[in-house]
Amino acid sequence: MARAREGVSPSVIIAAAGLVLVVAVPFLFIILQAIFPELGRGSLAAPFSALAGALGDPKLIGMTGNTLLLGVLVVALSALIAVPLAVARALFKVPGAVIWDVLFLIPFMIPPYIAVLGWIMTLQPRGYLEQLVGFNLATFLFSVPGIVFVMTLNSFPVVYFAVSRTLETVGSRYADVGRVFGASPARAFWRITLPLSTPGLAASLLLVFAMAIEEYGTPAALGGRAGFEVLVTAIDLRVSDWPIDLPGAAILSLVLVVLSFGAFVLQRWILTRRSYEATTGKPQDSAKRDLGVWKLPVVAGFALVAFVATGLPLLAILASALSRTISGGLVWSNLGFSNFSAILGDSTGALKALGTSLSLGVAAALVTGLLGALSAYAVVKSKVRGRGVLDVLTILPNALPGIVVAVGLILAWNQPWLPVTPYNTSLILLLAYCCILLPQPVRYATAAFHQIGDNLEAAARVFGASPMVAFRRILLPLIAPSLLAAMLLVFAVATRELVASVVVAPVGVSTISTYIWRQFEQGSVGLGMAMAFVTILITTALPLIALSLMGRRGNLL
Amino acid sequence: MLKFTLRAGVAATALFGAGAALADVTVYTAGPAKLIEDLAAGFTAETGVAVEVFQATTGKVMARIEAEAANPVVDVLISASWDTATDFAERGWLVPYTSPNAEMVPDFLKTETAVAQGVSALAIAWNPNSGTPKPTDWADLAKPEYKDLVNLPDPAQSGSAFELVAALSGTEGMGLFDDLAANGAIVAGANAEALNPVLQGAKAAVFGAVDYISMAGAAKGETIEVIFPESGTVIAPRPVMILNWSQNQDEAKQFVDYILSDAGQAMVAKTFLMPARSDIAADRPLIADLNILPVDAEAVYAKRAETLDAFATTFAK
Amino acid sequence: MAYGQTQILRGIDVALPGGQTLALLGPSGCGKTTLLRLVAGLLAPTSGEIRIDGQMVAGPGLFLPPEKRGLGMVFQDYALWPHLTVAGNVAFPLEMAGVGRAERETRVAAALDRVGLAAMADRSPSALSGGQQQRVAIARAIVGEPRIVLFDEPLSNLDRELRETMVAELGALIRGLGLTAIYVTHDQSEALTLADQVAVMEAGQIAQLSAPEDLVEHPASPKVAEFLRLGAVLPLVRDGQGWSLGGRPFGALGGPDFARAEVLITPRALLLAEAGSATLTGEVMAVQYRDTGYAVTVRLEAPGAAPAQTVQISSDTRMRVGERVGLNIISERLRWFPARPEPTFAKE
Repeated sequence: MARAREGVSPSVIIAAAGLVLVVAVPFLFIILQAIFPELGRGSLAAPFSALAGALGDPKLIGMTGNTLLLGVLVVALSALIAVPLAVARALFKVPGAVIWDVLFLIPFMIPPYIAVLGWIMTLQPRGYLEQLVGFNLATFLFSVPGIVFVMTLNSFPVVYFAVSRTLETVGSRYADVGRVFGASPARAFWRITLPLSTPGLAASLLLVFAMAIEEYGTPAALGGRAGFEVLVTAIDLRVSDWPIDLPGAAILSLVLVVLSFGAFVLQRWILTRRSYEATTGKPQDSAKRDLGVWKLPVVAGFALVAFVATGLPLLAILASALSRTISGGLVWSNLGFSNFSAILGDSTGALKALGTSLSLGVAAALVTGLLGALSAYAVVKSKVRGRGVLDVLTILPNALPGIVVAVGLILAWNQPWLPVTPYNTSLILLLAYCCILLPQPVRYATAAFHQIGDNLEAAARVFGASPMVAFRRILLPLIAPSLLAAMLLVFAVATRELVASVVVAPVGVSTISTYIWRQFEQGSVGLGMAMAFVTILITTALPLIALSLMGRRGNLL
Repeated sequence: MLKFTLRAGVAATALFGAGAALADVTVYTAGPAKLIEDLAAGFTAETGVAVEVFQATTGKVMARIEAEAANPVVDVLISASWDTATDFAERGWLVPYTSPNAEMVPDFLKTETAVAQGVSALAIAWNPNSGTPKPTDWADLAKPEYKDLVNLPDPAQSGSAFELVAALSGTEGMGLFDDLAANGAIVAGANAEALNPVLQGAKAAVFGAVDYISMAGAAKGETIEVIFPESGTVIAPRPVMILNWSQNQDEAKQFVDYILSDAGQAMVAKTFLMPARSDIAADRPLIADLNILPVDAEAVYAKRAETLDAFATTFAK
Repeated sequence: MAYGQTQILRGIDVALPGGQTLALLGPSGCGKTTLLRLVAGLLAPTSGEIRIDGQMVAGPGLFLPPEKRGLGMVFQDYALWPHLTVAGNVAFPLEMAGVGRAERETRVAAALDRVGLAAMADRSPSALSGGQQQRVAIARAIVGEPRIVLFDEPLSNLDRELRETMVAELGALIRGLGLTAIYVTHDQSEALTLADQVAVMEAGQIAQLSAPEDLVEHPASPKVAEFLRLGAVLPLVRDGQGWSLGGRPFGALGGPDFARAEVLITPRALLLAEAGSATLTGEVMAVQYRDTGYAVTVRLEAPGAAPAQTVQISSDTRMRVGERVGLNIISERLRWFPARPEPTFAKE
């Protein structure tokens, strides 16, 4: 049998070790917990005894159905909103294109639990909307369409950025060829351009689906009144309601994993049915067309979506943050900066929480960036056996609810026989964030590696670079622009992650999200919202500053 | 790249340093956050023993203890539900301890293994700007004036709300809740989620609000009034327990003593909870001022699933 | 060397003296690139040994990774690193070898100067034309004065005219620097121009290893002759009067004492004649104008020779496509081979 190259390169070994540490270990313990109900006590008694109870729950089918329904509806609405915008952005000269990009980036930075609270405070009876214009939309908000609406506003940017990037790469040239052969502009778009953007579209829709079925805050806050129970809310109930049912939660999580894996297989199948090899060129700004008479309607569309997805939630958050009391409402006498000064005065531990979360965010971005790049390399470029397993490990966290990752991490790292453990240090939070967010850099890096010819690495090796040097000097710089974008995303999301943080935060450590959540618990909504606003500002501004600094230096983004 | 690695290294070290894995006393508590911060600071100042705190909802605290069961680290647990104390005592997880400072704690607020830190009561939290008449009793909220304007905390998510439902349905059946449901009252998540719409005015009142949160809100200037219904309410003592796996039992006992000290109880009173000791003054109605509904905890918790089902059915209509 | 169950290369035994150039010539899929990557260390052999300068770099239980072999290489797709400047690309091998900055700069400048790109040092490779990019790749391959320079079809992405210029330049460079080189190509003129030795490869084996002139004069097998497009190869059968092709007598041409044989008929072995009286007839398939006259492609009417055999002859007069021509054979210029087992045509 042949050996490809000289065996396994160190980058692949590091990737495999990292994936095992960050993803496989907690996931293994979730499976073990599902099988052995007494695992938490260190006992392997009564294997499989919890399965019947959890899977025999008469509500399971309904919840699974609701979860699927929610996922599919959010995917559909996200595509409906994002694809036209992405097409306009990629193929035409949209006035203020960069501004729209930034505005569509902000929904990533708004923590979902904050966004949904903002929507409640805006749309409920006597909410900000009613205070300003005299009517409310509570009936709409607290319904399945309302849940889908709020979740879509949070996730459509994923589709927007992926599709516009892919379309920009494909450009108009293939469609132009189609027009030479007799296709109308519309037909050329449907038959040529859109199919060519399938990889970006399919990958982003998969991610949206996984995000939607894993999201806790929105269905919990809005679905309760509509009697709309999904798997994640049921999982949360099992880990919050005494007696705690960890095996039940683990089993339901595995159902969620199966759903997500199904979507993953579907996406792979769509992508392997035909070749999309054409998409290797560089973005061609020059090829963009004028919008002509469509200029105004298109800009209006961008403005409307940006206002609803970014403007409204931000205004609602700001309104609550500036209100001295919630019951005082939107009147001048009730507005002021007392909540902001409380945060900056750090009478409440806010600055410490900010510091903790920001450094954890940076660390998570660095670790997931490096691990993501190495894993993507192992999957795309190496010929290692078992790289399929690595591939699955990199997408697995997409399907794991944050709370389950947290429980898996505790089960894994709080074993008494471990000589050293990250548990009860901030490292456990870092592990949790890395696990939850690893799929982002992997996805970006994988796409980037696909566009790099194999010989670029081979050349470095021949000219004297060891595998690690070749990776560091040649491959890493080449995927850096994509990887950096993903790392900024990781930074933003890790900085405000709540669900896992609440459970695994080490004693005495508070993060931005646990701080905000505590303010809410104590009824200090304004203080929590002020902290949220500061966080959104920081997590939006830092990446943008980083990008523009890099942009001046070279060819990033 | 060298710089890159170096920075990551520094960050990692900083993170290691941030979480001291072995604190002198590790306390898991259901909140309120400000109270435990003050107690910890005061205790450390007095004894020099450091306190490490993990604070979350009762449910999340329990989930963590359950997941940690193979290698538990918590020394002192403060729950928001007395049920925890009963259950943990039955499991034999608690260290019997009677603090010398617990003398003035009424008997119904202490057992061999647990003592109350403070006590909250459930009440009606009413927004005077809501344009509704001031309610005086639970049943008022089923009147047409409050149509579609009442929130209830979910008894499945709040232990005290469950006890209220159990107490009220125990004496009069589900009738009151049928009326509330028919009047458009809704079940709105945990305590804070139920209160927030009332503050903004989307709803007029919370049926069964945790009193101290609303009182703290009122103290900050929120337009909210806490009304203890004439027919009576339930109280939720917050038990303090020492876990038997604790390696720091002496320090843990000292901490319990501190909670029950004059200084500790004054901090409790400052958060608008009722102090456990009857000799500590507080700027709010105390247990003696309230009409407490009888709750046979054992019987009530035995029927928990049943009661929650009946409640859910009522509000699913 | 094998991939999966299929052996890719077998029975390869080549030695290349220092300062010489070896060309690996063959159709795509013949294993020439695999052989080059084995030398480079980008692939590991399943069995066998590779030595450079007497030092074993691959063998039983031994595998030296590419970076330890001290090689230079020029890739088919150039493989210039887009994030480095032209100078950055060329400096990389020196950097890896730990050459100091000052010396590095001098040597990079010298290497770029040698390929005529000294002015482009600070450009990005993507700003260069295909020919310029290939020159950068060549500069990068020679800057470190490697023990061997490997060329992997370096000119196949260039257009014909540029290719011809570059072959000349490369030849001058290789000889001027006294490089030891292995040059993979499927283009025979490149191989014959540049190499001291040419290995014609076919299906994972070396079909012939000779100096270029020997290769043309004495192809080792009809396959080699066919691949080099030296002329038409016809299967002949010996009968009473001499040789015949598919029942048509060919007359006594000499040749070996076999019952069946194959014969290579190069253009130099043919003379144009009247169609009626000639030994061979054919039909004009194409006529091209060249500096020295017309190049006429003739399909031989040769029953039993499949696929159809063509020869290219030169003519002073322009012929019409479709015209029938006669060809006489100069028998001493024929080259004979023992008949291959049936079928007589190649699978590829």
